[in-house]
Amino acid sequence: MTIDAATRWDIIDKISKETITFGKYRHTLTDAIGELTVKPGTGIPIAIAILYGFWSIFGSFAGFFTDGFFVRIFDEYWLPWLQAVFPGQGGWLYAIMVDAGGIQSGQFVPSDNCLEAFGVLTSGIFVAIGVVLPAILIFYLMLALLEDIGYMPRLAVLIDTLLHKIGLHGYAIVPTILSLGCNVPGVTATRILETKKQRFIMMTLLAIFIPCGAQIGIMEDVVPDLMGWIMLYLIIGYFIFGYVLNKIVPGEAPEFLIDVPPYRKPLIANVSKKVWGRLVGFFKVALPFVMLGCAIVGVLYMLGVIDWLAAVLAPIFVGWFGVPAETAGPLIAAFLRKDLAVAQLSTIEMTEYQMITAVVLVSIYFPCVATFAMMLKEGWKELLAALAVLAVVVFLYGGLIHMIGILMGVA
Amino acid sequence: MEEKSSLAVFYFAVLGLLTAAFGIAYLLVTIGMVDEFSYSILEIPGDMFGGGWGGIVLLSAGLFYLMGLKDFNEIHQFGKIVMASILIWLLAGCDIFATVTESIPGGDEGWFNTLSGFIETYYPPYTPAVLLLPFSLVVIYYIYNRNTQEEKE
Repeated sequence: MTIDAATRWDIIDKISKETITFGKYRHTLTDAIGELTVKPGTGIPIAIAILYGFWSIFGSFAGFFTDGFFVRIFDEYWLPWLQAVFPGQGGWLYAIMVDAGGIQSGQFVPSDNCLEAFGVLTSGIFVAIGVVLPAILIFYLMLALLEDIGYMPRLAVLIDTLLHKIGLHGYAIVPTILSLGCNVPGVTATRILETKKQRFIMMTLLAIFIPCGAQIGIMEDVVPDLMGWIMLYLIIGYFIFGYVLNKIVPGEAPEFLIDVPPYRKPLIANVSKKVWGRLVGFFKVALPFVMLGCAIVGVLYMLGVIDWLAAVLAPIFVGWFGVPAETAGPLIAAFLRKDLAVAQLSTIEMTEYQMITAVVLVSIYFPCVATFAMMLKEGWKELLAALAVLAVVVFLYGGLIHMIGILMGVA
Repeated sequence: MEEKSSLAVFYFAVLGLLTAAFGIAYLLVTIGMVDEFSYSILEIPGDMFGGGWGGIVLLSAGLFYLMGLKDFNEIHQFGKIVMASILIWLLAGCDIFATVTESIPGGDEGWFNTLSGFIETYYPPYTPAVLLLPFSLVVIYYIYNRNTQEEKE
């Protein structure tokens, strides 16, 4: 049977009258708040407030577990127990696995806390469980909540114009924020960017200017009062060198189109699945590197490699970067364990400004081994180019921070 | 209805001015123009994070209240008032969460805090955001009112 067009339209009208309810669309309060979070005039203060909440909760939660309980468990029970039961005190295996300690008048002096012991079973496990686990648990929980509420696409829209100045677009905020938890998933997330140029800029900036959760956790613990200044220097560096890279790296930086979803109530099942997946990913990929890094740092210290490099490079550290000669060792060891390097720096006597410079240098210095391996997976040419940029950035930015200090009369 | 909204405008104008003034006070204390302030139940933080960053948030909340006063019943304007309250809830929530996490561990004394030590953590002084919290909750009444009226229509 064939029907003509008019009859077909009549049938459509009849069906739609029976199935569709027509009404007047009302702009809801949720819609109005959604618009406020995207418009720059109101959206930027809201973004500042949300990031404040993010870091405040992060600091309180991580501090609660690390300072409140884990420091005590590891320093008062775990370390003394290992020091008592592990054989060969003062030997090389003992130093690598438990406690490198110190030598005073020819006698071995054991460390009194896990951060300074530098053993795989002490510092390694303490950093992984006592510092990093609470930090990345709360970090990924907050991130998952922001994603599921629907705030992340709004943040991407809001920051799009600014990120275009450095050759990226709004979605670059995802790898950037992910890297604050761990640089490894951050590097993987650069794949959401369309062009090689964007991926290269993003990966380089992540490796240099974004401190990971482990490092932030240790900074919160040992230099909490200087966190603001350190983060400020890193953010400024992120944009200055992003701008320069955008000018010199050939390639395209396309616009992006995004569908901003309405705000939604987050589902516990979704949030917990995301957090669990990311935590498992971190422990599978990054944790072995944390332990391996501790072992390698221990071996290099024992072989005298780090002390030798520190002696050779000390004039640059003192003259160009303006930090004490003793910081050379931790700064070199930072390649393997940035978090432990920050902890080592905290034990060296220096001015506040020198401490800020030294911690910023640790952050912008070589990416950690896990990130290094991940970048290699993305392409060895990109990795070599990123490392070349990194060397130049460390030298220039470290010198610039020193110069600013001299001009301000604090360095 | 009009009488109700003029009362609301007056209320949120006062709350907005007070919130903005506290925001400015946070910033002045942080940059060192005013000494760290603690009087009776009020304490203004002077650190870079709580005072500086928090001050910007509190000042923004105050300005949102003031921006939303004109044409209060219009949904976008009312949205600004709601957003201002949300910013205060966020700041106060963070302060309260920080107090809760401080109150449980015992520090050098033991694993957990003593009952008196736990209760003492909650004693005043409080930050302005915590003090402003109950006053900002009034916005819930107006949201409820608005929803009821919309349902009737």
